[in-house]
Amino acid sequence: MRRNSRGSWLLAIALAAVAAALPLAFLRNQYNLILLTTVALYGVLTSAWNIIGGMAGQLDLSAGAYLGLGAYTTATLLLRWNITPWVGMFAGGVVAMGFAFLVGFPLFRFRIREVWYALSSSALVVVLQVVFLLWKQVGGPMERLLPSASFSLYNLRFQSYLPYYYIMLVLLLATLFIAYRIRTRRLGYYLLALGDNEDAAEVLGVDARGSKLKALVIYAFLVGITGGLYACIYGFVHTSFFSPTISMEVAILGIVGGLGIIYGPLLATVILVTGRELLRAGLGGRLQSLYLVIYAVVLILIALLRPRGLASLLGAWRKERR
Amino acid sequence: MIVNILQSVADGALMGCVYALIALGLSLIFGVLNIVNFAHGDFVMLSMYLTFWASTYLSLDAVFTPLITIPLLFGLGVLIYYSIIQKTLRERFVVQVAVTVGLMTFLRAFAQLVWEARPRALKFSIIQGNFPLGPFTVLLSRLISASLSIVAVVAVAMFLKYSWLGRSIRAASDDADAASLMGVNIRWTYAFAFAMGSALTALAGGLLMTFQQVDPTMGLRFGLLSWCILALSGLGSISGLLISGVIVGVAEALTVAYWEPRARSLIVYLIFVVILWLRPRGLFGRK
Amino acid sequence: MSGEPILQVSELCKSFGNLAALNRVSFHIAPGEILGLIGPNGAGKTTLFNTISGLYHPDGGQVAFKGQSIGGLSPHAICKLGMSRTFQVTQAFEHLSVAEAIRIGAYNRHGERGVEAKVRETVAFFGLEKIQDWKCSDLGLAPLKRVEVARAAATDPELLLLDEAGAGLNASELAELMEMLKTLRRKRDMTLCVVEHVMPMVMGLCERIIVLDYGELIAEGTPEMISKNEKVIEAYLGRRSKR
Ligand SMILES: Nc1ncnc2c1ncn2[C@@H]1O[C@H](COP(=O)(O)OP(=O)(O)OP(=O)(O)O)[C@@H](O)[C@H]1O
Ligand SMILES: [Mg+2]
Repeated sequence: MRRNSRGSWLLAIALAAVAAALPLAFLRNQYNLILLTTVALYGVLTSAWNIIGGMAGQLDLSAGAYLGLGAYTTATLLLRWNITPWVGMFAGGVVAMGFAFLVGFPLFRFRIREVWYALSSSALVVVLQVVFLLWKQVGGPMERLLPSASFSLYNLRFQSYLPYYYIMLVLLLATLFIAYRIRTRRLGYYLLALGDNEDAAEVLGVDARGSKLKALVIYAFLVGITGGLYACIYGFVHTSFFSPTISMEVAILGIVGGLGIIYGPLLATVILVTGRELLRAGLGGRLQSLYLVIYAVVLILIALLRPRGLASLLGAWRKERR
Repeated sequence: MIVNILQSVADGALMGCVYALIALGLSLIFGVLNIVNFAHGDFVMLSMYLTFWASTYLSLDAVFTPLITIPLLFGLGVLIYYSIIQKTLRERFVVQVAVTVGLMTFLRAFAQLVWEARPRALKFSIIQGNFPLGPFTVLLSRLISASLSIVAVVAVAMFLKYSWLGRSIRAASDDADAASLMGVNIRWTYAFAFAMGSALTALAGGLLMTFQQVDPTMGLRFGLLSWCILALSGLGSISGLLISGVIVGVAEALTVAYWEPRARSLIVYLIFVVILWLRPRGLFGRK
Repeated sequence: MSGEPILQVSELCKSFGNLAALNRVSFHIAPGEILGLIGPNGAGKTTLFNTISGLYHPDGGQVAFKGQSIGGLSPHAICKLGMSRTFQVTQAFEHLSVAEAIRIGAYNRHGERGVEAKVRETVAFFGLEKIQDWKCSDLGLAPLKRVEVARAAATDPELLLLDEAGAGLNASELAELMEMLKTLRRKRDMTLCVVEHVMPMVMGLCERIIVLDYGELIAEGTPEMISKNEKVIEAYLGRRSKR
């Protein structure tokens, strides 16, 4: 048991080192750096989703809401009060957290049927999108450009994607570490128990509402921070950041990765998002949308053939080798 | 002023009847198979494109295209049921969601591939024009669409209530095990319910195309809209479904007329979220 | 075994639609005793447990635990006060292992430090060493029932409600279970309230028995008194002829 866990740590550190060294292979190719950054970004989103969706079993479809809130908070702080995104993104995380609390507090009062939780969380993304569309002082129909210096550490503005990649990688590692800490401690066990059987957990002293709220709020915080970075990478904010599509994609990647398994969502993200982006780049012109058709078919197939997720493939393989 | 408000209410109510028709399909699928179909709205979107296609290439009027699209969508429903949905029946909820969201992505990408991202609309339908109705005027196309929707909803309700097949569908929805003991072929009934739910979107899609345009991202709107109506009405009440459809349609129309056109989805989803918070069983629901 | 009752239920009511599942039920449980709760099928025993443990909201009446009113509290808060229960229809954590399921209970009174030790001790006490790494979904009925008792006991309750923990067990399993329950009381000062249909278990375990029928308390007394009580005999035997 002990040795096994040390082995896992070594493997994790080795993989992190590889991820850190990866950009060195194609420093000159910005496209590949964008790809790496995108994968890391999705990795953060899906790994954070795993806390609420995988462990607590709440099928959350509102990643886009927290992403957008983080982005708009960061952008507004920078544009109005010239507060650096380094602070702004944490403020974004806090705003996302507050919003998550407001949403979760009434919703978790009853044992809301999982479909209604999923749908209402999805609706919230659209609600926020419209709110920011109509809110002229902060949002509006046009993009809001961030200050466009060519390089500014204060504004988190770089000429290359390289720094963004590394910042995202740090966030990814932090997210994985947080997910791991939760999974191996009281909250993680409580969430798993709640996902399985809420009544049984409650009579053993598990505060269902409190535990789920904690999970939701932590997830929102991480996604909010990511939103702040997202705004800096793109150099603008727009209401399309509140994207129901991204929210659903995050959830699906989490599911096909393997619910509640720390590395599952990341595994699915690395394979599928990379594949999708390569496909998109490969299929130009008229066939552009074909990449999404293929992507969708692959998702459906994995969900049908591997209902326990991609990570279960790895698990089976490890068992056989032992 | 009063007349204006009533005008919006009438427009919204007519639209709401079509929404109820869409939601009826979803309610069949959710009520009978207990499958959460995220792709339902995209079936509507697909139906609208098929209507566009049929009417452009076969020079059919949109009102008559359902004659073609209903069998098409029914067939598609059967196909999708047997190839995909059936395999998820015994799976956990999340797997069902993953699959139907995948299906939704697929349908949308497919529409983008075939019809490109441009919105499409039909130039002409025989049911165009205005219709004076007391102090206000309504679009003839909307009036006819709403009437046909109500007829269809009532017909489906009668079918479920009185026909042999309808009764076995309801038996399967109440208790699948008991129904199969009583000799109902569950597999077959499920396939039929799913296909029928899909086929209803064909009618709705045809009707919608007489006064509306279509683009590939519309599916999500119709999907969430029909879930909202279902949340309002609860399962198992046909009149509740119609009333909820009308409530949603009127709320939309009033928002568009008196507040802000872009806020119309906002109002629908706010109703949705508030209903879930306050009355998780819906206003009219039985279970 | 005297003084304040650990649980005092007064005039408790709970109905489903127009079915009164509990009708003004009043009784108490004394600290340290093993109370039997019996009654024909559908008498309302499980409903009583659900209402006491906070899963159902009572429609009327009071429940006081250690002198404190707990009506309307949520189940986890009641558990924190020192009451836990098992379920008649086993409610397993399918994706957790046996040790992990017990861990959920053990966290009730222990932080990350003490929890391991508590789990190990509980596993040993209930003789679950061999299956501690099994997934709960792979267990048969008898071990599953034992895990339910174990995880509830791991919360260190002062009062433990057991809903047909003995149903479906064979004679030797039953004897083992009874031994464990007696030890729990002796060594851990737990008060027990058991719902049982298995009469030898009730008679062998309980000092006092209360009888529910159609949501009403119809008798109370020692096992001997209950087995001779006319009303009880009629409730069990004459149900059909009566209504
Ligand atoms: N959730 C519920 N909704 C509606 N009726 C219920 C519910 N739970 C129990 N009942 C009804 O309340 C009555 C009491 O049921 P309960 O399960 O408490 O009986 P019981 O004494 O535990 O029976 P058994 O010995 O069979 O376990 C029964 O008539 C039952 O049908
Ligand atoms: Mg019972």
